[in-house]
Amino acid sequence: MTKYVVGIFGSLLGALGGIWLILAPFALAYQPEDADWADPTFVDFWTGLPLLLVSVVGLAAFAGALFMELRSRGIIPPPSVPQQQGSPAGAQAPAQERSEMEQLLMPLVTAMLKDMQERDKDRNTENGEIPRSAGYSDARQVPTEGSERSVQR
Amino acid sequence: MNAPARVGMVTTVITFLAGIWVFLAPFIVGYQKVGQDWIDATKNDMWTGGALIAVSAIALLLFLSFGLRDAVRAAERREADLPEQEAPQS
Repeated sequence: MTKYVVGIFGSLLGALGGIWLILAPFALAYQPEDADWADPTFVDFWTGLPLLLVSVVGLAAFAGALFMELRSRGIIPPPSVPQQQGSPAGAQAPAQERSEMEQLLMPLVTAMLKDMQERDKDRNTENGEIPRSAGYSDARQVPTEGSERSVQR
Repeated sequence: MNAPARVGMVTTVITFLAGIWVFLAPFIVGYQKVGQDWIDATKNDMWTGGALIAVSAIALLLFLSFGLRDAVRAAERREADLPEQEAPQS
């Protein structure tokens, strides 16, 4: 791990050297203002600019290598893998969420169905009508004993 | 050594070569005449080039040294683990 830190510092100093080479002709005034660039200015500028770019690439590379090393040692947590549909790990979480949601909503749905059934029954007895078809009433039946129990609770 | 580290090493070698170029440029390009007093540009280029050579050479040497140390430690750890794994079988 130390080797990457050394590389980062080396690249950083290289980048600073590049910046200095770009600025030096003007900072040290061996390039007169409003004059064509002299040979030293050309050399310094066109050496400094690529040096800066190369050093920045090196800096990023060493930083990336350090990051990978830290991740492989478990110091930086690995990236969260997007859960694929159909995979057991991916299917488990939504199924659990669904069952929790069902548990929460079941008493409410059961109470609503029971209320509707009672209202239908009252209306039918008032009008003296024959109860509706079995299929319709089946659809409005309270689903399970367990859910009734949850309503009572 | 992983791929980004290899890229980093290559850039450090390029920095080393750039340092040599900056150090020699005044004489190669010819804006510093041999036997005359050094002009400001020459002094700047030689100091900057020398610093770049030194920094990149030190960075390379330290990188290789620490890399070698890590490799030795990994080999020692492997050797230490090997007898422990073999012991229950024998």
